Amino acid sequence: MRAAAAEPTIDGHGFTVTLPAEWEGRIYQRPTPTTTFSPKNRAAVGGTGINPGRAGSGWLGERTRPILHLGNFPLPVDRGDYGSGAVEIMGPADVFIAILEFGPESLGTALYSIVGLPRVSPDRFNPNGLQRRLPGQSGFQAFFTEQSRPMCLYVVLGEHRNVVALSATANMMLDRIQVGAG
Amino acid sequence: MSTLIVSLLVVVLVVLLILSVLVVGLLRSYATVLARLHRLDGGLDEGVEAPSVAPPFRTADGVAAPPTRNASAARSDADQSTWPPAHNLVGQGLSGEIVSVRAVGVPHDTVITFLSSGCTGCATFWSDLADGNGATALGGGRVVVVTKDPQEESVGRLLELRPAGVDLIMSSAAWSDYQVPGSPYVIVVDGRTGRVKGEGSGTSLRQVSGLMRQATGDVLASRAVSKPRADTEREVDVDRALLAAGIGPGDPSLYATEPPVVPAEMSAHRRLDLVAASDPLRHSHSQPGAVR
Repeated sequence: MRAAAAEPTIDGHGFTVTLPAEWEGRIYQRPTPTTTFSPKNRAAVGGTGINPGRAGSGWLGERTRPILHLGNFPLPVDRGDYGSGAVEIMGPADVFIAILEFGPESLGTALYSIVGLPRVSPDRFNPNGLQRRLPGQSGFQAFFTEQSRPMCLYVVLGEHRNVVALSATANMMLDRIQVGAG
Repeated sequence: MSTLIVSLLVVVLVVLLILSVLVVGLLRSYATVLARLHRLDGGLDEGVEAPSVAPPFRTADGVAAPPTRNASAARSDADQSTWPPAHNLVGQGLSGEIVSVRAVGVPHDTVITFLSSGCTGCATFWSDLADGNGATALGGGRVVVVTKDPQEESVGRLLELRPAGVDLIMSSAAWSDYQVPGSPYVIVVDGRTGRVKGEGSGTSLRQVSGLMRQATGDVLASRAVSKPRADTEREVDVDRALLAAGIGPGDPSLYATEPPVVPAEMSAHRRLDLVAASDPLRHSHSQPGAVR
């Protein structure tokens, strides 16, 4: 007899998240790039180059770091670190959350002086706060340090007019994120 | 005269006797043929008690047999509460990515294709998924390929087989949750009810899709509003060409004017604002690692 579905938990790279209904998550660290990209060698380095699983994403010499993606919509396979490829399919009730770790050289700098994973508030979302503007959407970005790990929180709302409700949804999800020592 | 008649009668009787023997022989052989045909059709020999279950279901070589429970490729019974409960998927991607895919409590259906790197019967499924037609034929639900854990698969082979744009999750737990009898095997999950509304196997995804359509109908609405590939490629081209030229994220040459002076406590909030300006080259250079 098959058991009923439970809330799934994802755990890796120092992130632990228990996902409520409708939420999906991915934790990954892109492989170290092995070649410098040019349009001529796109096929050799892996298609569009935005698949987290394909070596060749990024640039030669880049040091990759762990990244957490969360969304209350189906996350596509091909996503950029800041959600390109995913934010384009978001609906008006959707929220996308990305947490990206940066290197130890950022530790202790003013930009990462906030300690602890921040929470969002409706007034801090801005349509200009997106990596790339998309109709109706708004974004929020904050830098912080958690467990001596310098990080960036980036949140995208599918519809800025729903900013109050979606901010609460984002905070509900942020409450479920545990950051370990890495 | 009477002798002639008697002789004639004797001859007739002999012929009649011979014909009777021939007819009996023919009827007997006909009965034997019918009896053998009856047995081939699953019938029983005389005196044998009829079993209470159906004869065993057989499939061609390389095709996984369906579970012994009351499974069928498409469940047509209206009482959805009798469908088996479905499960969300948690596993590992081919590059070590920790992946969670929601199949229960979502507004779309999920087509879970259980495949393996080593099964010969999976070859056509991989190729069907690679060309996209097989997945499309499944009715537009979200397609996810599930293999067993990395310890039980050839990851290198899976990297070669992996169809572009399709989630591949390595999760032996999913195989256990769904009681998958073997590969290839396809399960369709109704996201709204959180139950399995169709499952089965076949020789190809196209063949299975015909059965699945009976369960899914044509009501599956895909949310696949994908970004135009040309846009994606153009963005990646620009980003990487800049990086190849030594222009990294935050490089001053990316900004036509001096960036506005932002208080330290506001700088984090402004970082993305800077890249949303009119310069088309700025869009993805907001941060190290944000160039993809």
